[in-house]
Amino acid sequence: MKLPLAGQSRPWRSVEELQSPPAPSRELGPAEPPSRREVLQLLGASAALATMGGCLKPPDEKILPYTKQPPEVTPGNPLHYATCSTLDGRATGLLVTASEGRPTKVEGSPEHPSSKGGIGVLEQAQLLSLYDPQRLKVVQYKSELRSWRDFLATMIAKSRVLRDRRGEGLRFLMEPSSSPLIAHLRQRLLEVYPRARFSSWSAIPLQQIHDGAQLAFGSAYETRIDLSRAQAVASLDADFLSAMPGNARPMKDWAARRVPPNMARLYAVEAHLSVTGMNADHRLRLKPSQVHRFGLALLGRLVPRHAALAKRFSFSAEELRFADVLARDLQRAGAGAAVLVGARQPPVLHAAMHAINAALGSSVVSQAKPVLHEMDAGPRALRVLAEEMRRGAVDTLIMTAYNPVYGATSDINFAMALSQVNTSVYRTLYADETAERAGWVLPAAHPLESWGDARAHDGTISFQQPLIAPLYAGVSEAEMLAALFGEGDRTAYTQLREFWQARVPELGRFDLTWEKWIADGFIPGTAVKAESPAVNHDAVLAEAMKVPPAEKPGLEINVVADTKVLDGRFGNNGWLQELPDPVTKLTWENAALLSPATAAELGVEQGDLVDLTLRGPPARAPVVIAPGHADGAVTVAIGYGRRSDAETLCKGIGFDTSTLRHSDLPWFAPGLALVATGRKARLAQTQQHHSMEGRIIAVSAALPKLRETEEMLEEQRGAPLSFHRPWDYSKGYRWGMAIDLSRCTGCSSCVVACQAENNVPVVGKDRVWRSREMHWLRVDRYFLGEDAANPGVVFQPLMCVHCESAPCEYVCPVNATVHSDEGLNEMVYNRCVGTRYCSNNCPYKVRRFNFFSYTSEYSDQEKMAFNPDVTVRSRGVMEKCTYCVQRIERARIHSRVEGREIRDGEIQTACQQACPADAIVFGDLNDSGSRVSRLLSSERRYDLLHELGTRPRTGYLARVMNPNPELA
Amino acid sequence: MAESALQARRELDPLPLIEGRHDDGTLNKTLLDYVWQRPQPGWLTLFFIGMGGTGLLLAGIAVTLAKGIGMWGNNIPVAWAFGIINFVWWIGIGHAGTLISAILLLFQQKWRTSINRFAEAMTLFAVMQAGLFPVLHLGRPWFAYWLFPYPSTNSIWPQFKSPLMWDVFAVSTYFTTSLLFWYLGLIPDLASLRDASAKRSTRFIYGVFAIGWRGSARHWHHYKIAYLLLAGLATPLVLSVHTIVSWDFALSILPGWHTTIFPPYFVAGAVFSGFAMVLTLMVPARRFLKLKHVITLRHLEAMSKVMLLTGLIVAYGYLMEHFIAWYSGDEFESHVFFQTRARGPYRGIYYLMIFCNIVVPQSFWFPWARRNVFYLWIASVLINVGMWCERFVIVVTSLHQDFIPANWAMYYPTWVDFSLLFGTIAFFGTLFLLFLKYLPAVAATELKELRHELEHEWLEGAKR
Repeated sequence: MKLPLAGQSRPWRSVEELQSPPAPSRELGPAEPPSRREVLQLLGASAALATMGGCLKPPDEKILPYTKQPPEVTPGNPLHYATCSTLDGRATGLLVTASEGRPTKVEGSPEHPSSKGGIGVLEQAQLLSLYDPQRLKVVQYKSELRSWRDFLATMIAKSRVLRDRRGEGLRFLMEPSSSPLIAHLRQRLLEVYPRARFSSWSAIPLQQIHDGAQLAFGSAYETRIDLSRAQAVASLDADFLSAMPGNARPMKDWAARRVPPNMARLYAVEAHLSVTGMNADHRLRLKPSQVHRFGLALLGRLVPRHAALAKRFSFSAEELRFADVLARDLQRAGAGAAVLVGARQPPVLHAAMHAINAALGSSVVSQAKPVLHEMDAGPRALRVLAEEMRRGAVDTLIMTAYNPVYGATSDINFAMALSQVNTSVYRTLYADETAERAGWVLPAAHPLESWGDARAHDGTISFQQPLIAPLYAGVSEAEMLAALFGEGDRTAYTQLREFWQARVPELGRFDLTWEKWIADGFIPGTAVKAESPAVNHDAVLAEAMKVPPAEKPGLEINVVADTKVLDGRFGNNGWLQELPDPVTKLTWENAALLSPATAAELGVEQGDLVDLTLRGPPARAPVVIAPGHADGAVTVAIGYGRRSDAETLCKGIGFDTSTLRHSDLPWFAPGLALVATGRKARLAQTQQHHSMEGRIIAVSAALPKLRETEEMLEEQRGAPLSFHRPWDYSKGYRWGMAIDLSRCTGCSSCVVACQAENNVPVVGKDRVWRSREMHWLRVDRYFLGEDAANPGVVFQPLMCVHCESAPCEYVCPVNATVHSDEGLNEMVYNRCVGTRYCSNNCPYKVRRFNFFSYTSEYSDQEKMAFNPDVTVRSRGVMEKCTYCVQRIERARIHSRVEGREIRDGEIQTACQQACPADAIVFGDLNDSGSRVSRLLSSERRYDLLHELGTRPRTGYLARVMNPNPELA
Repeated sequence: MAESALQARRELDPLPLIEGRHDDGTLNKTLLDYVWQRPQPGWLTLFFIGMGGTGLLLAGIAVTLAKGIGMWGNNIPVAWAFGIINFVWWIGIGHAGTLISAILLLFQQKWRTSINRFAEAMTLFAVMQAGLFPVLHLGRPWFAYWLFPYPSTNSIWPQFKSPLMWDVFAVSTYFTTSLLFWYLGLIPDLASLRDASAKRSTRFIYGVFAIGWRGSARHWHHYKIAYLLLAGLATPLVLSVHTIVSWDFALSILPGWHTTIFPPYFVAGAVFSGFAMVLTLMVPARRFLKLKHVITLRHLEAMSKVMLLTGLIVAYGYLMEHFIAWYSGDEFESHVFFQTRARGPYRGIYYLMIFCNIVVPQSFWFPWARRNVFYLWIASVLINVGMWCERFVIVVTSLHQDFIPANWAMYYPTWVDFSLLFGTIAFFGTLFLLFLKYLPAVAATELKELRHELEHEWLEGAKR
């Protein structure tokens, strides 16, 4: 390319150089001052470069480290920054570790009200998505590469036309958001384009919550829960104990209420076995269509003026007894009682919940104005928009909602509607199904690359700060919206800062305030006030009386949001695809979940491929027999069966449920047909056996029988007899871990935390099918009891227990696994030749083997997610949990520098840090005052496989259940 | 009356060790002459099949080395599978050679003479196959030398507590001793071949390997002493090698492996399978190489009896394992023996093992079974299959369901696993074919000596 500045008289060193075309060179300055024309050319070029350059060079914006703020970044010392994640539109506080300028670990912010240190699986796995090489990298128009500047130019022209028409035909389809900045931009857009309309869409249910609040209170309210006061909780399909966005805080509060002796009690009424159902003291499985009837019957029992509902619906004697006992227990608990309803449930049940909680005087739940801009963000709103689009009433559609073409129910046919729109703009992380059909497609800046704000679940204003300059030409939502009123050159940082500056009265001190906000990640004391609106009982009763007394017979479908890929947006994330589902332990796909009885009735078995049909073309799904599932129903998860070519990891994995869903009944519907195809699928489940075979493994005891269990456990702990004199560990540190099964909900957040911290590779479906998954930490799930239809469930996180007398060590022929003097069972990767004898001799089977060179399968971008403190392992090497030895060593360095001992709590293993339920505690066993020592001296403590004499350093605390004697 | 008594006497007499009347000349001719003949079409066909199979082995090895151990079906919990099964199986097969050569020599069993060379060669080739697997099954086979105690710059020694370490010594010692023993026995016959060579090249080659044997009294004196010493050295190895191999399992804590009966039961099993393999190879070889006059029914019968005895020891081993599992009351062990093995997903292999290793040898109580060559061959093949199944049951079945039920998983072999198994069988066969073609399969010198002894005995008897 010929530079405008290449002068006419250029010096030359050889004849070839003289004759060759001039090459750009820094040595050659301008021979004469540039002409006016050239100056203008340069100005234009540099302006263009500056616009695009924002994406290519480090930002000039100042981001602020969390607590420790060294004068400069020391290589090798990671920094921690507070930011937030807004997966459900509300902010969950994050604390992100950045190593040498790149984020390497996402953890829960210990201060933020929505996390309090705990964190779900999706927020953690966002890190891997950041480095996904398949993300959309450049602006596209109808699949052709364009620049951000091209887009701005188009928008300037477009906005002129739209302004003239006062925004007629301008529609926005937004990702649900609580951001004050976005609210402000929306307001400004409406001022410029008064006839424009905003709607939000999310495949995750919100619409029913909105309608329920409307019905009960006459206006929009959101329910807040504070489970720290809970005494008896009834969950009607509310899965508040799974590691989904927004659940970190409820889990933390609930776990504290599950420690004996003063325990809260949990009842679950649901169709499919959920994480919450697995933790329930009493669980009633009902067909999906019966759950809300049950809730109404409960309302009839608890609130006298609704007494007509008590006997209106037909239930079996057993179910009625459950309802009676539950009602009595809730009444006894009074202010400590709460009924929680799953977001998918019909509005009438939400309204009934409000009525019950109000009548009980529950202090567990309270109401507050919603923090989301639109709560009515479901298929109904999308349908209205799609109708408009089909009518041709939409000229310009701006989309930031996640993938409506894929996620919309089939009857909306959003893809078709989209083709009727003149100009469509879609901001997305991937060139997904919607991007394939949209006009302008803008690469989204990843949440870890962008500035922003949002409100937490209680309304606390939270900030998002970038951990890295956008890797690709990503734009944030605010930047894209600003482009519509000609401010496309204003970065999100400028917008955010100016927006907040305008809201701080003392202008002079803004810098200090701002820095504190950003460093903390939130503004304390900005929660939305709780209210107690009056329940309109008449409206609720009238609506409830419209519910027919009996359900339609026949097979029903039960659609759930996936605990791993959510609505499909995490499909291309290997950590999540390979994370075993907490309930079914299935990886890399979704399945049709059936109860054993229904499967037998339909003549299908585990792994059979079946065609599911409901008012449309069939979906082909593999069958998973799910104990605890309601009879006469099939549960399927959304988010799979993706079709876009850009996302190769999830393309064609699992099946798409959209043909089974319709906007009138998106979550539950009768009339499902299931036909076996006679073919079989290979299911990659990480656990193939679900019974403990009567062994003492994951101990669970009912509270009244706790004493007996503790006596039984006395034989399951302590040093067993041995010929050998045990090693003396009494000097120095003696690391150990306690896992409280009573707190653990089996949510699997720890599994992802471990994977992220320890560079644990993803291996793929075939290899999981071959039982070669690499997770150092797994959560074993066992079914209890004789009743396969409705079994009890207990789970046990299991990683290397660091035996003091380790069976793996003496069998290694090359000394590759040895013991440290602090009691760690160490794995020397460099020395390992891979005989795998150690794994054979490990009774816990917690060692993982690199059957292939897994880490070399990672792309260069993905390698940026690696924790620099942890070695990546080569092919043919054994690996396993190290008790996060890198964290121990870092703490040791700090303590030595400061000339002190390592304090209790200073070292948190990755699993411990992520656990929203505080079920895992690590520390020094030589310090009798440490948390871990105190926990391990509990009467509930036992050593796994104690009789083998391995003397594990990890001790378990038996789970305690709190059953209601009336239901025993 | 006298004649019928003589008849009865003859029936009670053991079958002859050498059939027909022979002198040194005819023995030399029948035992060594085929070395000079052109390869027959049958031999060539088998050889090419063997080479094809060896190609499969090489492909399996190449894939394993290039891609990693993941090309096999192994997983966690079943971290050992075909590799170790094949290793133990081949090592077991390699037991017959030493037993026949050394122990039977020390016990002065005359019938060993016709078959010892054969059995020793088989041992050697079987141990070669076995030796492949411990290296191949490593995650990083290029560091296999770390298992040897050599003075390394990183001053780490192997871990002497590990049975795998002992394995390295046991197997390498065993291989060395077997090789020396076999070679030592070959020397006089190599000299015979050298002397009978028609071509310079063969005379040179056999001459080099005959290391100057002239058959002087001094040579014979040294030879006999060395042979006896080696026999004495090899005898404990028969017991030690498989004992140590069994410790790979018995010293672990895995139910199904952690069993004190393993050493004797493994040794018996090894001899059992070794004899079966000798029979499998000998039955066709004695026919095609026209060796029926020196490898007679008497030999076959003696071997069947050894198999019956060792088979019974193996059966006792099975019984004891189950008894102790029940008697100990250990829930994990009971589960392995009464649930996993007998009723688990791999029960087919378990029952095949019971049939082949316990039921089939019981037929050797009956003379018709011991003297029917075709039946013997079928039975010996079945016993080899059964012994492979036994190792599968021990290795895979015990591993796939151990202490914590959440660990349990199925193991499915891949094409590479099968290529390595069948490839080693083919490679073994190829080596054996080469041996049969270019070396005397029967120890001619020893047989000539035996003939003399027998003649002497007969004369002594006649005198009396």
